[in-house]
Amino acid sequence: MKARWLDILFLGALLFVLVLLPLLVNNYWLRIATGALMWAGLACSWNMLGGYAGYINFGHSAFFGLGAYVTALMMVDPLGLPFAATIPAGIAVTAACAVIIGAPTLRLRGAYFAIATWAFAEVLIQFATVMEFTGGIGGLSLPPFLNERFFYFAMLMAAALTYLVTWALFEHSRFGLKVKALRDHEPAAEAMGINTSLVKLQTFVLSAVTASVFGAIFAYWVTFINPKSVFGGDITDQMVVMVLLGGLGTLWGPAIGGVALFVVNRLIWMYWGDTAFYIAILGAAIVLVVLFLPNGIAGLFAKRGRGSVSVLGKAVEKLVGAGEGDRK
Amino acid sequence: MSTSTQPLTQKPDAAVDPILVVRGLHKHFGGIKAADGVDLEVGRCEIAGLIGPNGSGKSTLFSLVSGTVAPDKGEVRFDGRDIAGQNAYKVARLGLARTFQIPALFDNMTVTENLLAAAAEGHWPGAHERAAETLALLKLEHVADNRASDLSGGQQKLLEFGRVIMRQASLILLDEVTAGVHPNIRKIILEAIAKLRERGVSFLIIEHDMEMVRSVCDRIIVMDSGRVVTSGPFEEIVRNSEVMKTYLGRPQ
Amino acid sequence: MDLFLQTLLNGLLIGGVIATFTIAFQLTFGVLHVIDFAVGGWVVLGGYLGYYIVAGLGLDGFVAIPVAFVLFGAIGYLIGPILYNVRNSRTARPELMALALTFGLFTLLRGGMLTAWGFNTRTVATALSGESLMVGPVTVPLIRVAAALFAVMIAGGLFVFLYRTRYGLAIRATAENRHNAALMGVNIRRLSANVYGLYAGITAMAGVLMGAIYSVNPESGLRYTLFAFFVAVLAGLGSVGGAVVAALLLGVVEAYVATYVGSSYSLLAIFATLFLVLLISPRGILRRGL
Repeated sequence: MKARWLDILFLGALLFVLVLLPLLVNNYWLRIATGALMWAGLACSWNMLGGYAGYINFGHSAFFGLGAYVTALMMVDPLGLPFAATIPAGIAVTAACAVIIGAPTLRLRGAYFAIATWAFAEVLIQFATVMEFTGGIGGLSLPPFLNERFFYFAMLMAAALTYLVTWALFEHSRFGLKVKALRDHEPAAEAMGINTSLVKLQTFVLSAVTASVFGAIFAYWVTFINPKSVFGGDITDQMVVMVLLGGLGTLWGPAIGGVALFVVNRLIWMYWGDTAFYIAILGAAIVLVVLFLPNGIAGLFAKRGRGSVSVLGKAVEKLVGAGEGDRK
Repeated sequence: MSTSTQPLTQKPDAAVDPILVVRGLHKHFGGIKAADGVDLEVGRCEIAGLIGPNGSGKSTLFSLVSGTVAPDKGEVRFDGRDIAGQNAYKVARLGLARTFQIPALFDNMTVTENLLAAAAEGHWPGAHERAAETLALLKLEHVADNRASDLSGGQQKLLEFGRVIMRQASLILLDEVTAGVHPNIRKIILEAIAKLRERGVSFLIIEHDMEMVRSVCDRIIVMDSGRVVTSGPFEEIVRNSEVMKTYLGRPQ
Repeated sequence: MDLFLQTLLNGLLIGGVIATFTIAFQLTFGVLHVIDFAVGGWVVLGGYLGYYIVAGLGLDGFVAIPVAFVLFGAIGYLIGPILYNVRNSRTARPELMALALTFGLFTLLRGGMLTAWGFNTRTVATALSGESLMVGPVTVPLIRVAAALFAVMIAGGLFVFLYRTRYGLAIRATAENRHNAALMGVNIRRLSANVYGLYAGITAMAGVLMGAIYSVNPESGLRYTLFAFFVAVLAGLGSVGGAVVAALLLGVVEAYVATYVGSSYSLLAIFATLFLVLLISPRGILRRGL
């Protein structure tokens, strides 16, 4: 029980620092902190389905982008609606899209779902590029609102809410048990009375909707969006790396991976600018984590039931050793 | 989902009052007839043993009854309801629970979580207490917080059995639940089966160990090549030369 | 009417080239149970190899075809077992990890090529470049005809290999049922190395042809990954027979959209079709066994 109190103490301190941060740093660092919060939240939203349910979504940027575009389209002329009004609309659109994609494909093996989500994101890029009402390749400009503190607190709230929901729903409820059960063994989960198709769809919708909220805040924050900047595959790549690096299916893994990778991203950007080399780094990171750190950074600290071989040692053994044959 | 008293409309059968009735069940995989017109029933509070050579269709029958695999044709009535071709989760919610031949645990969850996940869809209040009771019953308390994949083979069998207990089912299908386990663990399982039967649970058990079949089962059902060959009390089956040939041919 | 026929013929010729690497892609899925996101990366790398053999060594683009097969066959042979090990490891979700691995590989190839070569578009020059063939009223670039002939040869060779040799039988048996194949003594790990090598080699060869017909740049990998997925979804994952039909269909559809609607819409049209097929008949509408 001592650990529980330490957790609460640590969390309280973290929240305290985060709330006071705008008083401590200048706008430049506040922007970086805002970005870090957004990525930590986005990584967590990807992890809901990818980590807890074991279904990999290669088009998560679609939902981020949908949130951004719905907000942008509603705030520019002729509608000119206030920002707050656009978020529910973004949520509704995203949820509908997630149901349309998820309902048929989540019943099949993961490969079909991966293709469907990837294709959906690419359709949206192409669509937003060729259509006129989305501003085509030039994108859309939103009415500027230059208040860094507002966006910092908006992202902080969204991220805190995302982690709170994940903690409550996936770590401390029956729903979380169902999700993890179907990840580990779908037929067995069905035999326990779990409607796996429904649970997967619910998880997918929640994950998509969360990303759309971040997209909406992002669009208002940067005041200018185009198809590449909100639908781009790099956004999904980055989320995948963050979650894999931090630890798939853990609560704090995506936060650790998200903040760590975002800092690396900013450093690279500071020294080399907008470089294609970063894409190569993302790719290499995915490959290396899959091969050598399949449980992520969080996995390094997790208690192991038995076996003294380190995670790294096991991975090397697995790579060079003869195939163990089919799984079980 | 406790065992309901049977509805009055149902005709009580003199010999058995079946909780499960299977009629003319067919399933073909390519050219293989895994179920070729299976007929059988399991009575209320009965423990029926299902024996037969490897590949005779026992495990396929479990999958067909529990909804994991949809039959080509035929009837499956559970507690008076037609469940043939129903989704597995719906069948499970009606009060039918099963184990898998190859342990199908939730590998990355702890032992306790495995038990709780089994109760997640069903009667939830008191689930934590029941999980603790089940752990005690199966003598798994010392590994309660271990990951399921870190258990020994025998403990995995116990845990899978524990999940079935958590379902509070009225009919339990056990697929070789004591195969290859230590005698101590087998003893735990047998005691648990006896305890559940006192509460009115029915069983259909696939088993290769004839000693276990003799000691636990009220009645034996013999399958071969996707059909039920015969059924009856253990002694009667053993005397039957046909069965001896197809199954018991190998000396004990 | 001439334009209509010409588009049809062009589409079929391109479809033939698409068929070569999508057959290999399907085979890889059958044996390894992984969809390879990196497929487009191999195509583009093949195209660049062709470009450098022409530009660097002054040789004809066709020389690059066998070189591509050997070079990428060897690379694939090394990657295959790694993919197999990840797919069959005991992590939480081996299928997911294997998917992530090919996705990471695809991203790595794309980023690496962008870093090395930028966004510049490259074309593979061959002896046939610029020549065309008149068939009645229809004009067809000669390179497309040659590429299609080449594709038929590769695909024909692959089918003979699959259906007339013992090793081909082992591959088909594994694709149908890994468990039984393993029981029959097939070493699936070694088979995975060979199949992935074969697939990478064939895909790179198709890349040389694509580089000669169109051109390649690091971002066009996306297009070929999409092609492979389109064919896989239409045919049903792992189905080799359906892959040929789906590839030809894809070539024709793309040609018509590009001719009559505009080439900027062709990717959108393909994505949308792929997506609709996934929603309506997710297991494939041309589903046929191996």
